[in-house]
Amino acid sequence: MTLPGGLSRLATGLQPASSQRSRRGVSATIAIGGGIVAFIAIVGLLSLVWTPYDPGGIDPTSRLQLSSSAHWLGTDKFGRDVLSLLMAGSRTTLVVGIVAVGVAALIGVPLGIMSAMTTRWWGEAVMRANDLLLAFPALLLAIMLTAVHGQGVVTAMVAIGIASIPSFARVVRSGAIGVMKTEYVLAARAAGRRPLAIAFRHVLPNVTSLIIVQASVSFAIAVLAEAALSYLGLGAPPGTPSWGRMLQEGQELLFVAPRLEVFPGIAIALAVLGLNLLGDGLRDRFDPRLRDRR
Amino acid sequence: MTPRLARLFVPFAALALALTACTAGSTTSPAPSGSVGGTAATSTDKITLGLVAEPASLDFTKSDGAAIPQALLVNVYEGLVKLDQDGKIVPALAKSWKVSDDKKTYTFDLVEGAKFTNGAAFTAEDAVFSIQRVATDWTTSLKKGMEVVTEAKAVSPTQLQVTLSAPSNDWLYRMTTHLGAMFSKTGVADIATKPIGTGPYTFTSWNRGDSITLTRNDSYWGTKPYYQTVVLKYFKDATALNNALLTGAINVVTTVQAPEALGQFTSNPKYQVIEGTTNGEVLLSFNNSNEIFKDKKVREAIRRGIDHKALMDTCWAGKGTLVGSFVPPTDPWYEDLTGVMPFDKAKATALLTEAGKAGTTLRLRVPTLPYAVSCGQVVKAQLEAVGFKIELDQLEFPAAWVTEVFKGGNFDMSIVAHVEPRDMKAVFGNPEYYTHYATPEYVALMKAADEGSAEDQVTNLKKAARLLAEDAAGDVLFILPNLMVADKGITGLPKNAIAVALDLTKLRKG
Repeated sequence: MTLPGGLSRLATGLQPASSQRSRRGVSATIAIGGGIVAFIAIVGLLSLVWTPYDPGGIDPTSRLQLSSSAHWLGTDKFGRDVLSLLMAGSRTTLVVGIVAVGVAALIGVPLGIMSAMTTRWWGEAVMRANDLLLAFPALLLAIMLTAVHGQGVVTAMVAIGIASIPSFARVVRSGAIGVMKTEYVLAARAAGRRPLAIAFRHVLPNVTSLIIVQASVSFAIAVLAEAALSYLGLGAPPGTPSWGRMLQEGQELLFVAPRLEVFPGIAIALAVLGLNLLGDGLRDRFDPRLRDRR
Repeated sequence: MTPRLARLFVPFAALALALTACTAGSTTSPAPSGSVGGTAATSTDKITLGLVAEPASLDFTKSDGAAIPQALLVNVYEGLVKLDQDGKIVPALAKSWKVSDDKKTYTFDLVEGAKFTNGAAFTAEDAVFSIQRVATDWTTSLKKGMEVVTEAKAVSPTQLQVTLSAPSNDWLYRMTTHLGAMFSKTGVADIATKPIGTGPYTFTSWNRGDSITLTRNDSYWGTKPYYQTVVLKYFKDATALNNALLTGAINVVTTVQAPEALGQFTSNPKYQVIEGTTNGEVLLSFNNSNEIFKDKKVREAIRRGIDHKALMDTCWAGKGTLVGSFVPPTDPWYEDLTGVMPFDKAKATALLTEAGKAGTTLRLRVPTLPYAVSCGQVVKAQLEAVGFKIELDQLEFPAAWVTEVFKGGNFDMSIVAHVEPRDMKAVFGNPEYYTHYATPEYVALMKAADEGSAEDQVTNLKKAARLLAEDAAGDVLFILPNLMVADKGITGLPKNAIAVALDLTKLRKG
């Protein structure tokens, strides 16, 4: 299972990865990663207005067709066009990723800043609670929420979002602690500025780059998690185009029509690859320690 | 591994997840597990059959679940009567039987020389013991079928007389199921782990989570089976089951879970594909207690809005039987009722508009079973074309589906295969059941069918089936097919899965 590994990787996400990397390499990473992500986003937006066929259009007369000029990637067992399904599925993927990352950032970032700014006991308590949540497998949490609130994309998004809170909180906290020690923050405090003002004026802008990098990595994890949940029948309901669902529906035909597994598999792999490359590149670019080496 | 490499590996792990997590996502379906009666040709006199859904116990008197009688009835345990491949009741431990004129007394003449595998002889005393034991020791819901019996007595060691409180055509039929299994008076102490019956096979071992092994009973009173050893191997995953046949680990796949997957076998000369029918009516059920379904126009609009042929072609690869009412083709009162409310999209839309319900949202809540999830999507597409709005979701089977739909009534429509034999009376005719359909006319027909002569039964049940169709009490999408794949040369596989038992006695090779 890839998620726990991904999460533990996140915990160390702030350390300088390879300080020897040249700036040119960084740019290439961003270009490739950003290109892939932009491509998926464009396809998702395009599918709102145009797909070759209706992604939900069931057609008994054209079931399980191979790739042809009419259906570039063939059709599935309902006679639906695989290319159209993939295009529409990217929408689900993007929405789930954006909402999950949004939920995680909206809760995780304030928690991280708060716990960095306070010296009282509850700052520590928040971070220990954070550790508890971090120890909890994300998929298990999602399955639990599904059991309580029923299957659906919304439940999946919220569950993935909640599971990503700790990574945001930790990353932001470690960055914020550094910012709190700077002279301008000390000056602001001496001048009697309120903590809230300090948080918004000084701390948040200085950890934005960390948040962006974290968002990119969390997005990749959300994409995988959504696919896994839909595959298990806990995410997108039947009839909703989703890459994970496509994998599930194609599974029984693995030996009859393996392409039904291959195409969504490639789509998921590509999306996660793009997001990871982008996150990698952005981190190298923003990392203050790397900047110092220039 | 450098951090960069580690990162690159994540996407491929995604693909690996897609390919390996298959086992975790599959559900076993209660789809037909056909009775098998073929013959397999192996040099070692041993045959291995692949099945889905392993039993949780071997004691069907205390645990429900189709897997137990499927493995043990007819093979290890025998009843007085059994069901043949055409759905007829035929002799088993009873050579013959007579019914009194008032249809309340049954006199059975038992076979001579039958012996339990613990060495005890089978006599009318054991039959009395087995029948009485249903009331005292059984705990499953099935025991209700024996409540009609007022007295069972042994007239002689080979003659049994059973008296019923009221005439019941259904009772003798129920005696063909495990309800009528004959136990030894001295052999019921350990039936949960060591079943003892009079059947052609002896229970040998149960390797939990894997297989059940049966061995030929060499002192069997009737025709002895061909195979020395029969292994029933259980699989949790349909793909694994099919692969086991391809790799030679098993000789027969008793239930092909996905009809599309047949393609890999039909083109291979090493295998034979056997297609039969089952008792499994795939029912698009209506929650008839909901206000919207009180309007017959809405029910009719749904029935007419569904193109059953296209639906079966799409979601079950065209395998199955279209029937039009709640009767499988193997029941004596079957008639083709597909013409009662045929597909007519324009009329369906008109009916819906007439009822003033166009655009109404209906919740279609299906269990996570392959046929239900597949057909659910087709039903949604077809009904939305007529003017309904369908909210489709899937519920984990059995737990969530039973709680929400079956017990909770929190649904408008659902799709599930009713695989119990002769279940017209159980599924419709009970206001408490999840279909909530019990018109007085229908209930009266059921009662008349049970208490009348055999001809009355057929006439009344035919009327009842027509009533279900004309009143659109629900919509039977199709009858599940029984799809089996076996090594070439195995014969005696019963192509129809219409009895609760998987009959292994006629298996041969060559």
